[in-house]
Amino acid sequence: MSMDVKPLVLVVEDEDAISNFISAILNANGYQVMKTNTGKEGLSMATSYSPDVILLDLGLPDIDGVEVLRSIRGWSKTPVVVVSARGHEHEKVEALDLGADDYIVKPFGTSELLARIRTALRHSPKAMGTESNGIEKITIGELEIDYSKRTVFLSGEKVHLTPIEYKILTLLSKNAGKVLTHDYIMREIWGLYAGDSHTLRVNMANLRRKIEANPGAPKYIVTEMGIGYRMVER
Amino acid sequence: MDKFDQRPDPDAILEDIQAHQARRPGRLKIFFGYAAGVGKTYAMLDDAREQYRCGADVLVGYIEPHTRPETMQLLHGLPALPPKTIFYRNIELKEFDLDEALKRKPELILVDELAHTNAEGVRNRKRFQDIEELLNAGIDVYTTVNVQHMESLNDVIENITKIKIQETVPDYIFDRADKIKLIDIEPDELLRRFAEGKIYRPERAETAMRNFFTQENLRLLREIAMRRAADRISVENQSERRLSEKMANTKLLVCIGPSPTSAKCIRWTARAANAFHAHWVAVYMESIESEQLPREQQKTLRANMDLAEKLGAEVVTLTGHDIAISVSEYAKLSGSTNIVVGKSRNKRTFKSLFEMDLEDKLLSLLPSIEVHIIPGSTPGRSYKKPRKIRRNLNFSFSWKDTAKTLGLLVAATLLSLGLRRLEIGEQNIIMAYILSVLVISRITEGYAYGIVASVISVLTFNFFFTEPYFTFNAIQAGYPITFIIMLLVALTTSTLTVRIKTEARLAVQRERRTEVLYEINKKLLATGGLDNIVALTNDYIVNLFGRSVIFFTTDPEQGEDGRVMQAADDIDASVLNSADEKAVAHWVFLNQKRAGAGTDTLMGAGAFYMPVISRGKVLAVLGISSAKGTLDHNAHLFLRMIASQVAMALERQHLSDEQHIMLVESEKEKMRSTLLRAISHDLRTPLAGILGASSAIRENGKELDEDTRDKLIADIQAEAQWLIRMVENLLSVTRINESASKVTKSPEAAEEVVAEAVSRIKKRFPQRTVKVRVPDELLEVPMDGTLIAQVLINLLENAVKYSPSNSPVEIVLKKNGEWALFEVLDHGKGIAEKDFPYLFTGYVPNGNKSPDSSRGMGIGLSICMTIIKAHNGKMEAENREEGGAVFRFVLPLKGSE
Repeated sequence: MSMDVKPLVLVVEDEDAISNFISAILNANGYQVMKTNTGKEGLSMATSYSPDVILLDLGLPDIDGVEVLRSIRGWSKTPVVVVSARGHEHEKVEALDLGADDYIVKPFGTSELLARIRTALRHSPKAMGTESNGIEKITIGELEIDYSKRTVFLSGEKVHLTPIEYKILTLLSKNAGKVLTHDYIMREIWGLYAGDSHTLRVNMANLRRKIEANPGAPKYIVTEMGIGYRMVER
Repeated sequence: MDKFDQRPDPDAILEDIQAHQARRPGRLKIFFGYAAGVGKTYAMLDDAREQYRCGADVLVGYIEPHTRPETMQLLHGLPALPPKTIFYRNIELKEFDLDEALKRKPELILVDELAHTNAEGVRNRKRFQDIEELLNAGIDVYTTVNVQHMESLNDVIENITKIKIQETVPDYIFDRADKIKLIDIEPDELLRRFAEGKIYRPERAETAMRNFFTQENLRLLREIAMRRAADRISVENQSERRLSEKMANTKLLVCIGPSPTSAKCIRWTARAANAFHAHWVAVYMESIESEQLPREQQKTLRANMDLAEKLGAEVVTLTGHDIAISVSEYAKLSGSTNIVVGKSRNKRTFKSLFEMDLEDKLLSLLPSIEVHIIPGSTPGRSYKKPRKIRRNLNFSFSWKDTAKTLGLLVAATLLSLGLRRLEIGEQNIIMAYILSVLVISRITEGYAYGIVASVISVLTFNFFFTEPYFTFNAIQAGYPITFIIMLLVALTTSTLTVRIKTEARLAVQRERRTEVLYEINKKLLATGGLDNIVALTNDYIVNLFGRSVIFFTTDPEQGEDGRVMQAADDIDASVLNSADEKAVAHWVFLNQKRAGAGTDTLMGAGAFYMPVISRGKVLAVLGISSAKGTLDHNAHLFLRMIASQVAMALERQHLSDEQHIMLVESEKEKMRSTLLRAISHDLRTPLAGILGASSAIRENGKELDEDTRDKLIADIQAEAQWLIRMVENLLSVTRINESASKVTKSPEAAEEVVAEAVSRIKKRFPQRTVKVRVPDELLEVPMDGTLIAQVLINLLENAVKYSPSNSPVEIVLKKNGEWALFEVLDHGKGIAEKDFPYLFTGYVPNGNKSPDSSRGMGIGLSICMTIIKAHNGKMEAENREEGGAVFRFVLPLKGSE
């Protein structure tokens, strides 16, 4: 692998122990890593090096991580994965609504980290330009969605969905691997004057009963507690 | 992270201290003189200039504009508050601008003439009330006053100067002052100043000179002023012990009534009580007459009671028709040592030959008591005792009574005619008439019918039964005597009847009042909760007084409306909760005094507001609508009694609230310490493992073979994972609301929470099978999803641990009536019988933990229990018949609020 194809990951994280092991993992898996401890430095590095992915801790010593994200989103669409502790769901939702691409909960393992970074890279504007657009068909496990014919098959059998259920499924599948917040889904499906989350929960429960073998242990659409839903990638 | 920082915030402490300082009342300095022109204002301004030079934030609040030029010069350079202009009957009046002063909040403010009476339309009637507000707001005040304005000295000075002083200041203002500065000059010097026209303008000077500014007056006034100032110093110098001894020994009781003499008695007693440092009580005897007092005397009575209260007395109302007996009984009960009575020099009357004087009676009833007699009021102002006869003779015509009278008289006449037919002696006929008069007096209202009946009886008797018959000529010699006897019988009976009736009515009224009070007290005792107390009180007041009522439990300044109960055809909540009315209630909260309609403060208000005070704290404010006229004295008394009951109830409520908080607090403390005890050991063990393994790798890494190294690293990972799970459990406890063991709930799809828990467990134990069953319908449960997921994870982890690794664990979600039921089942060996009692407590007593629980899963379960309880749910565990254990909990499906 030559230098120019190695994706550059900017890690903005104040805990050295964590950023050390993140860079160790990433280096070992073919990424190039830059580290910084502060939000200010992170911002200036984001402008001068134009990384492919930014891994941003929300609890920084100098500036609030959310503020860093806001100012990055002011001028760039670089994928940002936020790092935050469990229990701070509110913070995560805020970051996602501000344009973060994904989040990862501390503590996390190697595979989780790599999966998030891969997804983020795939959904980056650079990648989007080449693939994904104009796709007519997607297959995830036994589930097959044909966007052009607006049909859904599970293990080869046609699934009958209501228009809303189909819209939700399409939205999630086109963003497979990426978490979508409740608010985002409601806005996309019902528009500006979205109703309450109850309607979304009911539709989601019905959709799951049609495509999942066991809605208590879903295979395709997983719940991100307190945040939203995520469609698995394969 | 800062959630764990329990240290108090230094900024908050500082703020708290500042807030406390702000609540410190201001200091009062009074410049005290014996007459106008001694130089009080001059001295005050001089002192203020000195303070100003030292950098104090001084503000001249108000200086009388007639002040002399030398004094006015001192004003120069001091910041001054422009006076407020008030138009009253087209006259422009300048008054002190209290609100502006409170807004500016200087360190020190100067307000001249403490005794001044404000113009109508200003919030307070008296300037001393303004000054009290300033002091309560923490502003230091300088003010001036002359000795003749002191309330308790008012009559003494009136005697000396022969001038009635209208503007008085209650003594407690003088006593609460932190500094009294006596401004003194020789009377000769004062008179010289006076003659030079430095005190009054020439046209006023002459009258003043003649009436007031005589050398003798001034000398006496100077002496009184000096004595008053000296008294204060002596009080300050006396040791506490001597004081309290004295206080325990002496208690004065003064009898008051609607006569102006009473005011004199009250003042005298106040002075004496002050000199002895004793408590004193003003006793008012309520009797038949007090019901029928003319308006004017009722007003005097009110004024007397207010005066006594202002001077620091406890005012008590007694009922009974014998003053001496009631007063002596009360004196015995209250332990009074001295009784003060007023006495006017009456002309000896026929009646007084037979009746003992009050003081003689008191002495005979209470031989050990000292009785002080204060001579009657100033001559020229005659006081008429209420004459009951005259009032009761006021004939009130009623058809019913007239019919009764005529009927009885006709009956008596018919009976007499019968008797004469039988020729049973004339004396019996007279008896029949006397009986009829007696009965008539008894069954009719007032005296009139009895008297009319006796006259008619005599006339009919004369007409029918004396010779010559059917004429009004009484020939026989004894008849005039019969007339008189019949008349006396009628009068005596009527008097007795009226008295009994009135007393019975009073007794019923009193009875009713006591009954109601008792009832309120009983109900308040049985009532818990602030809302119920408020509702009960409002209900009673509306029923008793027929007026709308408002009950503020917090200062309306804090934004909460008072609770209103509207009486029929009276003002409603929109009026009582309007900004103007709230301002009055706010004032009452701040100043702990009654205000609004019928008082001296904020008289324009639509309702009368009284504080409910307990231990010097205003617990609530009650407002009673005055749309139907101001409340009378009795209503005030009654309200005060009710307020004291309410105060007790509120106090009790506060205490029980506090107790409840303490209980919850201690419960939480217990939970925390249990947790802490349980985890402290458990946390150390994995850390020791991690430390040992990591140092082994770092220090001896090269000597270790690869397998050993991998094993050590795997151990580190496992221990760290365990630590993280433990910390997550602990963190979840902190999500439970501190104050009430409550959680923030929002509706969640129960199946999603189950799925979340299952997916996390699968990540941790990928080789284990987890069977999940959820119902066909969506169950939405109000909960904190993170916490319930944590509970499920703990239960699942337990199930995985305590069952063979090839057996599945199951998780079931069901709807069970109004509950969502969660079950976690395993196929292990179940729970040991001896572990059941301690399953959810987090630790085993005696410290004998079974080896299985050594990794603190007991804590996990106790946390689960805490979380479920905080959700108002229930949790239990049992062994299944087919083997293995089941843990189940239910959460209510409703009640997300």
